[in-house]
Amino acid sequence: MSKQGGVQYNKIAEIKGPLVIVDDVENAAFDELVEIQTSDGEKRLGKVLEVGNGKAIVQVFEGTTGLSIAGTQAKFVGKVMDLPVSEQLLGRVFDGLGKPKDGLPDPIADKFLDINGEPMNPEQREYPRDFIQTGVSVIDGMLTLVRGQKLPIFSGSGMSHNILAAQIARQASVVGTSDEFAVVFAAIGVQYSESEYFRRSLEESGALKRSVLFLNLADDPAIERIITPRVALTAAEYLAYDLGMHVLVILTDMTNYAEALREISAAREEVPGRKGYPGYLYTDLSTIYERAGRLQGKKGSVTQMPILSMPSDDITHPIPDLTGYITEGQIVLGRDLFRQGIYPPVNILMSLSRIMKDGIGEGKTRADHQEISNQNYDAYSRAQEVRALAGIVGKAGLTGVDLKYLEFGDDFEKKFLSQDLDENRTIEETLALQWDAVSLLPKNELTKVKDKFIDQYYKER
Amino acid sequence: MVAQGRIVWVSGPAVRADGMSEAKMYETVSVGDAKLIGEVIRLTGDVAFIQVYESTSGLKPGEPVIGTGNPLSVLLGPGIIGQIYDGIQRPLKELSKKSGSFIGRGITTTPVDMTKKYHFIPTVNVGDKVQAGNILGTVKETDLIDHKIMVPPDYTGGKITKIVSEGDYDLETEIATAEKDGKSTILKMYHKWPVRKPRPYQKRYDPTIPLLTGQRVIDTFFPLAKGGTGSIPGAFGTGKTVTLHQIAKWADSQVVVYIGCGERGNEMTEVLVEFPELKDPRTGKPLMERTVLVANTSNMPVAAREASIYTGVTIAEYYRDMGMDVVLVADSTSRWAEALREMSGRLEEMPAEEGYPSYLASRLAEFYERAGRVRALGSPERDGSVSLVGAVSPSGGDFTEPVTTHTMRFIKTFWALDAKLAYSRHYPSINWMNSYSGYLADIAKWWSENVSDEWFNIRNEAYSVLQREDTLKEIVRLLGPEALPDEEKLILEVARMIKIGLLQQNSFDDVDTYCSPEKQFKLMKLLVDFYKDGQQALKDGASLVDIRAMSVIGSILKARMEVKDNEMDKLDQIGQIMREQFKSITGVKVSN
Amino acid sequence: MTSDPKLERTIDKILNQTEVENLSSLKKSFKESLEILSKSQTSLEQEYDRIIDEGKKEAQKIEKQIIGGSDLESRNKQILLVEDSVQKVFEKAIEKIRSTNRDDKYSKLMAFLLAESTNALGTTDVIVYTNSKDKEIVQPLLSKFPDAEFSSDTIDCLGGVEVKSKDGTMTFNNTIDARVDRMKPLIRKDIAKKFGIGH
Repeated sequence: MSKQGGVQYNKIAEIKGPLVIVDDVENAAFDELVEIQTSDGEKRLGKVLEVGNGKAIVQVFEGTTGLSIAGTQAKFVGKVMDLPVSEQLLGRVFDGLGKPKDGLPDPIADKFLDINGEPMNPEQREYPRDFIQTGVSVIDGMLTLVRGQKLPIFSGSGMSHNILAAQIARQASVVGTSDEFAVVFAAIGVQYSESEYFRRSLEESGALKRSVLFLNLADDPAIERIITPRVALTAAEYLAYDLGMHVLVILTDMTNYAEALREISAAREEVPGRKGYPGYLYTDLSTIYERAGRLQGKKGSVTQMPILSMPSDDITHPIPDLTGYITEGQIVLGRDLFRQGIYPPVNILMSLSRIMKDGIGEGKTRADHQEISNQNYDAYSRAQEVRALAGIVGKAGLTGVDLKYLEFGDDFEKKFLSQDLDENRTIEETLALQWDAVSLLPKNELTKVKDKFIDQYYKER
Repeated sequence: MVAQGRIVWVSGPAVRADGMSEAKMYETVSVGDAKLIGEVIRLTGDVAFIQVYESTSGLKPGEPVIGTGNPLSVLLGPGIIGQIYDGIQRPLKELSKKSGSFIGRGITTTPVDMTKKYHFIPTVNVGDKVQAGNILGTVKETDLIDHKIMVPPDYTGGKITKIVSEGDYDLETEIATAEKDGKSTILKMYHKWPVRKPRPYQKRYDPTIPLLTGQRVIDTFFPLAKGGTGSIPGAFGTGKTVTLHQIAKWADSQVVVYIGCGERGNEMTEVLVEFPELKDPRTGKPLMERTVLVANTSNMPVAAREASIYTGVTIAEYYRDMGMDVVLVADSTSRWAEALREMSGRLEEMPAEEGYPSYLASRLAEFYERAGRVRALGSPERDGSVSLVGAVSPSGGDFTEPVTTHTMRFIKTFWALDAKLAYSRHYPSINWMNSYSGYLADIAKWWSENVSDEWFNIRNEAYSVLQREDTLKEIVRLLGPEALPDEEKLILEVARMIKIGLLQQNSFDDVDTYCSPEKQFKLMKLLVDFYKDGQQALKDGASLVDIRAMSVIGSILKARMEVKDNEMDKLDQIGQIMREQFKSITGVKVSN
Repeated sequence: MTSDPKLERTIDKILNQTEVENLSSLKKSFKESLEILSKSQTSLEQEYDRIIDEGKKEAQKIEKQIIGGSDLESRNKQILLVEDSVQKVFEKAIEKIRSTNRDDKYSKLMAFLLAESTNALGTTDVIVYTNSKDKEIVQPLLSKFPDAEFSSDTIDCLGGVEVKSKDGTMTFNNTIDARVDRMKPLIRKDIAKKFGIGH
């Protein structure tokens, strides 16, 4: 920056929504951090969204409630927002802007990192290949999570996404290594009870000391939510690339993030895209999700599990839609399964893990893993078709093979999909359950697995 | 005189600068103290509107803006193949040497190694007349690419006054001099070309040769021609990227340009990791030796995303001009359109549908118009092609949104991806009822000359089974399958077999990932024969239960994975077994 | 008693039979009770194992929790201790600054702070504020800035200047307090390093 920052301006032209527009600004940079001081001395943070022709548009993270045209001062700090990072982040609880919330002082910094991060050079990425065993059959068997992947959970209001995420955070391990593991949890506008459930779950499993929590709760300022995932990822990147840890980042709930973004866009009077969300929602979300990955020559990894609740369970809503285009698959929870009391209620047909193929197979899990998983997908999809048909024509109108598929569907949901909250299955147990399920079907229905695997694992039931 | 102005306004990738009356439209400029790269996209008075190709974080009003006098151009010469570039042709490997794992800003570097020596074999002599496009000589760029050094397309012609002898030279060497009207021009192994200007050619041909991709549903049912245009729209999770990767891997072209435009970083990494390991089925050489990547991933600056498409297609045209078949894959044109929308919004232009600018359609048309099979400029005579395949990412999977609908107006092959198929793990999830190819009739001749003269008929018979199944499905949905007579149940059965045994293809299976034209035809014929023999068997008194119980069905369905391209006789054997099994269930001799 | 051998035989027979029946039913019930016992024993054992097992799980959980918790607690105590020391160092440093001699070197520092402030504001048309101690030092420096005005109001600070544009729209706080505040995270890091904490 050409001129030193730090000048305080007090000619406020306009305050609207989360924005403060400052006049007669000569010395401010795009994206610069701003300290807003209210007339009674309270300090808030913000950043420059637009600057020029003597005007700066400042977005205030803590909201503009209580600000007045007279008496409000804006100090342009001369740097972008950064987060002090060090090993001391572990075991700490921060608010949505990264300030301590646990009564302890600011962590003593090893570095100060720009919370926006920088785009990874794709040429420098290490392709994700390490299987993470979550102990949850449906994930390990059919939606395998890989180190450095971004795999969101698409859920709906009231469903068990947080319970599932907590179980994954407790159980996730990479078989056969002793590398250090950490959890970064970002609560974005969620209720206290949900964030507390997560914290307790980490505490009970003894994982709290290798976790960092950033909490923006439902009653915290909405605009702060723009920052929360970014500070969380900045912490995660430091733990991964500077300290060599394998970091699982859980961001819940990204729908609240997108709503905060929409609020700012509306206040700026931008031309809206679908459902009032800004046209750049895709680009903006990607600056969060693309921060997952692995880097050449670095030991650690950042694995992301964003959670979002689909408004009205609609997967074509812009938030899940654009998320799905960026992330490497999605775990979709199904309302029907949830109503039936099945846990985890994963709708496997709508779910997908894109880089599963690279994390499984011989030497990683087992040679037949991909094919048996394909066969289960195929059979379950057929079972669903038969169920729909049976609903119309009754069981009497079904062929013998169709009836086998019905039986398969029930067995699959009850024995393979269903699992206890503290049940941690090995990959061998998971694969055995997959073979068990398809063994209900006649041998010649198994068109997705090679004969040699059928000979080895298939036992007709 | 270059423009020297001052920033007056910054908002994201958009910058306004005054004092810019010397600037030209689409000129590249250096922005701010950090010397970021930008391009002038509008001029009003002495104010220039600039889109900046790098992050503008920290940029301040008052900082300088300096023109370069040149439009955004790419450098064309040996050394491009095997590279991964950003949207404005900066090699990402070089960037990482300067700024590490993350992409820094304001870094300048040359697109290719200017000091690397190539073995140049001249093909012209002193005194020869040359004109635009003439080949001066060749260098071996990779094992797969004989790179033709050409006279730049904007050179008006002249006589060679100097040419170096065969030997090793770097790119800056003056390999030839040409003279016209006493004016001498120095020619090197490279030249520059503005990305927004299509490279000229002599004439265009109708596309009549299929671009073979080894993907059955594409080659057999919805083919693309060399020099043609295709589009692949699909909601997320429908396997768009996998299909595009398959085309990039197996298409029978000499050069592949793969543009990752606003997509995932790991997808580019995947190509970088996988392609050097994979062998071209025709030459046995690593696929990377014919591939160029242009990567502007979703988290990289949005303006460079707009440029990446043009950078890619200009490189493609350059290799086309050497007489090569080039396929360009752009994933995803929707992200490019969104970049246009974002800049348009910042320019405060009047938006058309869904906020996209009104010139979206014309920009798409311009892009797809750069495809084609052409006779290149200059001598010796040579034909080359650029085939364009653009992915579309319709929001919510809705094909009526502007990018999809406009794209459909400018392309001839449409591969509609279907979320329902993807959910049931039918990959590639190309919907056979909604997709189409406008090249089918044009390329049928090629199949008949090179594979079998039965191809066109068999293909249509197979397709009609699928069409009939589609209508029958309605009845089944209402009344159940038992309501149909056996002949119609047979159609359902065979359609299922076509889906599993022919349309589905497992990209991750070593054998199934690529299917030769011969194997495609034989598999299809086997299925059509099964249908015909089955019909006959029903007439001859066999029951559908008997047909369903035939053990050969398993072999037919698994043949795509179990029979390798060099084991075609195995397919004949399966055919033989099939006929015998039909014989045994009817006791009557069936057709051969 | 009359003895009737026939009757006796019959009685014997009945008795015998009853005995056998009794015996066998006794045996049967004994066997049954044995079975029940053994069954209940296995289920008892299973139950016992289950309780032990769950207890173990619970114990492990508690153990993990306690170990994790106490690790964290001692770490947090350490953080507080270090923070305490850092604060003390800070206070001493500030005390030292407060009592700095207003010498030539200090005057040069003030000149630098003034120049930096006007540069940041982009104008010399300003009003300058200081604390009462620095008044004599700063006022003469303003001769270099003919547009600048020296305020008679003083501000409460360790030292340095606060510069306001005359139209009142801009302020640049270049007091030593503000500078220390800006530098605090870096200074904390340096102090902590001296205690052997951090990197």
